[in-house]
Amino acid sequence: MNITRRPALAALLAAPALSGISRAQGQPLKLGVPTAMTGTWAALGSQVVRTCRLWAKAVNAEGGLLGRPVEFLFEDTQGVPANCLRKAQEMVERDRVNILLGLMASSEALAVMPKLADWNALFISSVNGAGSITAEAWVPNAFRANTSGPMGARALALWLRNSPQTDFFSLSLDYAWGRSSVETFEGLLAGIGKRSIGSVFAPVGTRDYSSFITRIRQANPQALYIALTGDDGTAFLRQAAQYRLFERMPVVTETVDMLFTRPAGDAAIGLVGGSRYSFAYDHPANNAFVARFRAEYNELPDTYDGEQWQALEVLRAAVLKAGATDTQSVVAALRDLELNSIKGPLKIRGCDGQAEQQGFVVRVARREGFPVPAPEVIATFSAAEVTPACRASNFT
Amino acid sequence: MDPLALFTLQVLNALSLSALLFFIALGLTLIFGIMRVVNFAHGAVFMLGAYCGVAVQSATGSFAASLLAAPLAGAALGLAFERSALSRLYAREHSAFLLVTFGLALALTEAIRLVWGADARQTELPEALAGIVFVMDEPFPVYRLLLIGAGGLCWLLCWLGLQRTRLGLLLRAASQNPTMTAALGNDVGRVRAMVFALACALAALGGALAAPLLSASLGLGSNVIIDAFVIVMIGGMGSFIGTVAGSLLVGFAQTFGNFYVPELALGMTYALMITVLVLRPGGLFGRPE
Repeated sequence: MNITRRPALAALLAAPALSGISRAQGQPLKLGVPTAMTGTWAALGSQVVRTCRLWAKAVNAEGGLLGRPVEFLFEDTQGVPANCLRKAQEMVERDRVNILLGLMASSEALAVMPKLADWNALFISSVNGAGSITAEAWVPNAFRANTSGPMGARALALWLRNSPQTDFFSLSLDYAWGRSSVETFEGLLAGIGKRSIGSVFAPVGTRDYSSFITRIRQANPQALYIALTGDDGTAFLRQAAQYRLFERMPVVTETVDMLFTRPAGDAAIGLVGGSRYSFAYDHPANNAFVARFRAEYNELPDTYDGEQWQALEVLRAAVLKAGATDTQSVVAALRDLELNSIKGPLKIRGCDGQAEQQGFVVRVARREGFPVPAPEVIATFSAAEVTPACRASNFT
Repeated sequence: MDPLALFTLQVLNALSLSALLFFIALGLTLIFGIMRVVNFAHGAVFMLGAYCGVAVQSATGSFAASLLAAPLAGAALGLAFERSALSRLYAREHSAFLLVTFGLALALTEAIRLVWGADARQTELPEALAGIVFVMDEPFPVYRLLLIGAGGLCWLLCWLGLQRTRLGLLLRAASQNPTMTAALGNDVGRVRAMVFALACALAALGGALAAPLLSASLGLGSNVIIDAFVIVMIGGMGSFIGTVAGSLLVGFAQTFGNFYVPELALGMTYALMITVLVLRPGGLFGRPE
C-alpha cells in the first residue's frame, strides 16, 4: 500500500512547483474582489462581477497590463463587514493580492481600510458612498473612483435650487440609510431656501403603499422626495402611478437606479434624481463602453457596471503611469492622476483619494430605442460644484 | 383633504388589501381545516401565481388569460405535490408535513429564480383597469375596486360551495371525521387532493391579482405568508368565517396603522393577534385545541 501511494504523493507535491514554473513566463496580475454575491446586495454584486470579467477580457485581448494577463479572484462577503475583512485578508496573505476592488457596503470598506497599511495593499472603491471614507476614516492607501453619497445629493440640491417648488414631503424606508438620506435632504433643502413640511417612514417590506399615498395627498406638498430601494421602491412607484400621484407633484429621489425603476415600468416616468452612472451619458468614452457591454451581455450597463468600469480604468491608468504593480508605485501614481473616463474628465485628488468628477441629474422618460422608460440627463454640474472640500464629508 | 373623504379612501384601501390577503389565507385555512396540514409553501405558490400571471400576460397580451392560467398552474402543482409527497405522509406525525411543505417552498423559490431570474417582473394593466374613479373628489384606482369585488365574489362562491353543494357537505364531513366519512364509502384521499389543488389555485389567483400592484419578485412569498398565518390564527385555524374576519381585521389594522402610527404598524398586526389569542386561545371562530 505504502509503495503504491508514494509516487502519487510525490506527483502531488511536485504539481504546484511545476505550475509555478509554467506561470513564471506570464505572471498573472491578480486583483481581489471580495463582494456581495448573495444576500441583499446580490444584484449589485453581480454587476461588479460581470463588469470585472468584461474588463479582464478586454485587457487580456490587448496583451494584458504591462504584458501580464489580468486575473480576478472573486469571493462572496454577503455584504457583511466581518466576512469582507476575512476574505480580503485571505486574498492578501494566501494569494499575494495587493489590489482590492469592488467592495459592496460602505461598512465593509470601512472595516478593511484600517488594515491596508499593514497588508501593504491598496483599495479603489467603485460602490461605497459613505462620506467618511474620504473624510474622517481616510487612509493613504484608499481611493474612491465613484460618486459618493454626498456628491450625488449635492447635484440634486443644485438642480432643485432653480425649481419653482418650495414645500417638500419625504417618504423613505425605515432603516439607517433611509433615515439618513431624508436627514441629508432636509438639510440641503434648508440650504437652498426650501422647506420640508413633513416626512413618513415605511417599514422595510411594505407591500401596500396606499396608506402612505393617502398620507402624502393629505399633506399636499408641492414636491415629494423618496428614498426607497428594491422591491419596496418598485411597489411604491407602481401604486403611486395608479393613484395618479405624479400628476399632482414632481417626485425626486437620491439616486435613480435602473434596478428599481426598470420593474416599475411606465410608473417611473417623470422621476428625477441624482445619478452615479448611467448609460445615457452622451460621451464618446461612455458610448464605446455601452457598445462593448451590449455586445458582450446583450443588456445595458447599470449603475455599478459603469462605476466598476470607471474604477478599473483608474487602476489601468495608474499602473501604466507607474510602470509597475507594487502597492507603493501604484499609490504614488494614483495621486493627482488625471484621465478621460466614461463620465468625462476625472482627477483623483491627492489629498483624500476622491475622484473629482461631474455630477449628473437625470429624469426617467420614454426614449426611442429602449424597451422600458430610461433615464435622460437633464443637468450636469462641474466637479468643482459637486465635490466636497478635501477630507470633508459634506458642504457646510 | 376632507376628513370624511379621507376615511372613505382608507376604508377602500383596507378592503382591497383584505381582499388580496383573503385569497392566500383562505387556501391555508382550507388545507388546515380538512387535512390538518400547515402548508408553509402557500406563500411560494402565491408568488408562483404572480410570476405565471406576468409570463402569460407578456406572452398573450391578455390580463384575463393570466387570471385563468395562474390558478390552473397552481392547481396542477398542488395536485402533483399532494399525490406525490403529502399522500404518503398522512399516517405520520405533523412534523413531517412541516418539513416537506417548507422544502417545497424553498424548491419553488429556487425554481422561480432559475426560470425567471433574480430581477422583479411586471406587466402593465389593461387600459380598462388602469383608470381611476373619483370617490368624494379623490382619485381611486379602478383596479383596487376590482380587487374588492374579486375578494367578495370569492368569499360568496366558497361559502355557497361549502354550505349548499354536495361537494361542500363532503368537505365538511371529511374535516370533522375523516374515518367515518371514508367508512361511508367516500374516497377521502381524493377529497384531500382536491382541497389541496383548490387551495393552491386560490393562492396562485391571488398572486396573479397582486402582480399589477406589487410586481412578481422573489421576496413576495415569504413576505405574504406571515400575514396569512396571522389571519388564520386570529380567525381560528380551519374556520372559514374566521378567515374572512381575520383578513378584514389585518387589512384594516395595517392600512389604518400605516396612516396614523407608521412606526408601529408592523407591531399592530401582531398586537392584534396576541390580544385575540389571549382572549380566545382558539382564535375568534375556532375551537380551542
